Amino acid sequence: MKILIAISSKEYSEPTLHVGMWAAKAFNASVTIAYVGQKISAFSTSDVGLAQESNAKWGIERPGVKVLEWAFNYLAKNEYITLDEAKAGFNRNTLVDHGKNRVEVHLKGNYCEGVDLILRRGDIIPELRHEVAHNGYDITVIGRSQKRRMAHDLVQYIDSSIYVVRDLLPFKDFRILQAVDDSKGTAKALLYGMQVAQAFNMPVDVLTVSKRDNFGKGYKRAHNKALKTFEKAGIEANSILKVGDPVETIINTATKYHLIVMGNSQLNPVVQFFKGSKPLKVMKNCNSPILIVK
Amino acid sequence: MLTNRSLNTIIFWLSQKRWFIFALIIGAVFYLLPTPEGLTTEGHHILVIVVIAIFLIIFEPIPLPAIAFIVLILEVLFSIASPNDAAKSFFSDAVFFIMGSLMLAVAIVSQGLDKRLALGIVRITGNKTWKLVLGFLGISAILSSFIGEHTVTAMMMPVSLTLLHYTKADPKQLKRLTPLLLFSIAYGSAMGSIGTPSGGGRNVIMLDYWREFGIANITYLKWMSYAYPMLLVEIPLAALILWFTFKPEHTTMDTAVRKLKVDVAKAGKMTSKEISAIGIFIIVFLGWVFLSPKIGLGIVALIGVVLYLLFGLINWESLNRNTNWGVILLFGAAISMGIQMKDTGAALWVAENAIVFLEKITPNIELLRWFVSVFLTGILTNLLSNAATVAVIGPIVLNMGGDQIIIGFSTAIASAFAYLTVVASPTCMIIHSSGLVKSKDYLRAGWKMFLMSVIVLFIFSQIW
Repeated sequence: MKILIAISSKEYSEPTLHVGMWAAKAFNASVTIAYVGQKISAFSTSDVGLAQESNAKWGIERPGVKVLEWAFNYLAKNEYITLDEAKAGFNRNTLVDHGKNRVEVHLKGNYCEGVDLILRRGDIIPELRHEVAHNGYDITVIGRSQKRRMAHDLVQYIDSSIYVVRDLLPFKDFRILQAVDDSKGTAKALLYGMQVAQAFNMPVDVLTVSKRDNFGKGYKRAHNKALKTFEKAGIEANSILKVGDPVETIINTATKYHLIVMGNSQLNPVVQFFKGSKPLKVMKNCNSPILIVK
Repeated sequence: MLTNRSLNTIIFWLSQKRWFIFALIIGAVFYLLPTPEGLTTEGHHILVIVVIAIFLIIFEPIPLPAIAFIVLILEVLFSIASPNDAAKSFFSDAVFFIMGSLMLAVAIVSQGLDKRLALGIVRITGNKTWKLVLGFLGISAILSSFIGEHTVTAMMMPVSLTLLHYTKADPKQLKRLTPLLLFSIAYGSAMGSIGTPSGGGRNVIMLDYWREFGIANITYLKWMSYAYPMLLVEIPLAALILWFTFKPEHTTMDTAVRKLKVDVAKAGKMTSKEISAIGIFIIVFLGWVFLSPKIGLGIVALIGVVLYLLFGLINWESLNRNTNWGVILLFGAAISMGIQMKDTGAALWVAENAIVFLEKITPNIELLRWFVSVFLTGILTNLLSNAATVAVIGPIVLNMGGDQIIIGFSTAIASAFAYLTVVASPTCMIIHSSGLVKSKDYLRAGWKMFLMSVIVLFIFSQIW
């Protein structure tokens, strides 16, 4: 498994890094921690490059290097990287510029296959999309953003599952809220939900919401299948059947100790672009962490 | 049948290129409109290209060279110019100058002269913050009037950042001192670029237009006699504006200055390499003053580049890597648009109609001309690149009647009023790239700088 963790700063990204690394440890995944710096106008790229070269001669690093240094120290302190790597400390000179707007350093991991720290520059969504497309990540972990279109663009354009982190709360207190319906997306989401529940020993609330009073056959079948799947895997699963608007019901059912897991919408991307989708609406309006499985 | 993934890729492409599509639609609408009375078909078409180019330059949905190529392709496809005429209007001494000055910037910055500069500044200013602000602003302004604003900002920024780091390990916590010093450099460099023709590509573009349109042949020293007094007046005013906008947390920077002096002293005596670098620049400067009327500012700049290469002070790989070829191509295309606007009569048509329209507001034609040249340029320069602004606006304002020298100067100088946005000029972008100044800081100080500059320019335009 490959996990991409997008961080922005020490102040805002600690929960994201924390949760991302927990997941990486649980799944023995290889991890890339990415900082995307601000976009530079095409008119100024060379001038900014020149100024940054000039700064580097004075020992002044470009923005982002400090954030990577903070991430490195976090990894060292929590023993995510080998003792040798931690002892060597964060060396800016080991950052390799591959051109193509990607500067990276590779670290040997203790629990994970390896940890890459990378710097990119530009608009966050195109940069993350490019990173995911070229390196095939399974999950992108990112903190909640106040930007208006961020949730929409993440769900629409990033070609991996999306995990949006909210607060830094211990996983041991969490329950999974597995949203289940008869759609194709539910099957893969179920698999991810099961893996997370097993890795962190979390109980699961299986939630199915029907708009009508009578639950259709498909919904009932999907709900029962989910319960059986969890039970077979030895995971405590609780059945919740509710009637109402699916988005509102999921939001109202979720507490801050729920990790919502739901499949991505199978709607046509054009329809999703204009009308949105259930996972998007839940992501935008809910205060719980959420994993949208693609 | 398209898969969901392919559809998503298309939607993503469309979202990224929406301003390109918008520009094409707007261009198509303008193209399909009947040619207005008094405007030639070619003039109509060049204005369509200008509208498309402005959108593309502001929003940058495609790389700069692609914008330049679109301009040239459309000029030929719309029968505005033959392929050879388009090529001729594309390359001029102004483009040589822009290319040469970008390369000179790379050559000068890589010599490590910033340590000498730092020592010079702190020796003059001492450790009082207000003196440092005045020193940074004044020296940035004076240097950038000769060697270009981006060169100076690139050299001065590490000096100010080092001082800030010595004042506080995390300069972000110096919420007022940090922007104060960084804006002193950025705005000082931007202001200074008006001082001489070599201060910025846009000055050379205006010189080229005056010559090309048969208006005048302004020499290097003549330009200085117009612009330099204004620059000297602006320096203390700008220092006051910045000081009162970002009242700093520290009124002295004693420890920081002392540490900086120790740091810089380690550099030792000047090396022969550094002396050669300064010597070559002095030769270039003398060439601009005495030879440029005959051989052009661009050729002199290129002579300087050759000398730096010849003496091994810079290698071609480094020049090639750090020179923004996209900017050179785009400015070439912008100048080509300007020349075609003049040749097709589009510039005259826009100028006349602008005057007729604005006459409804006030009958004072002199004020109107000045208003259009300064305000339009000042606003556009904060959205477009400043050289592109002069390339496009220049032919229009030079056709508005009145004293074409004064109006030309006002336009070229107003294009330096790029204080309001991060993208207004490379100097603004350079300090923003440090991650230490916020976008709102530009507006906070910028509007005062803009207003002050307009007032000072107005006073000087009455004196000229």
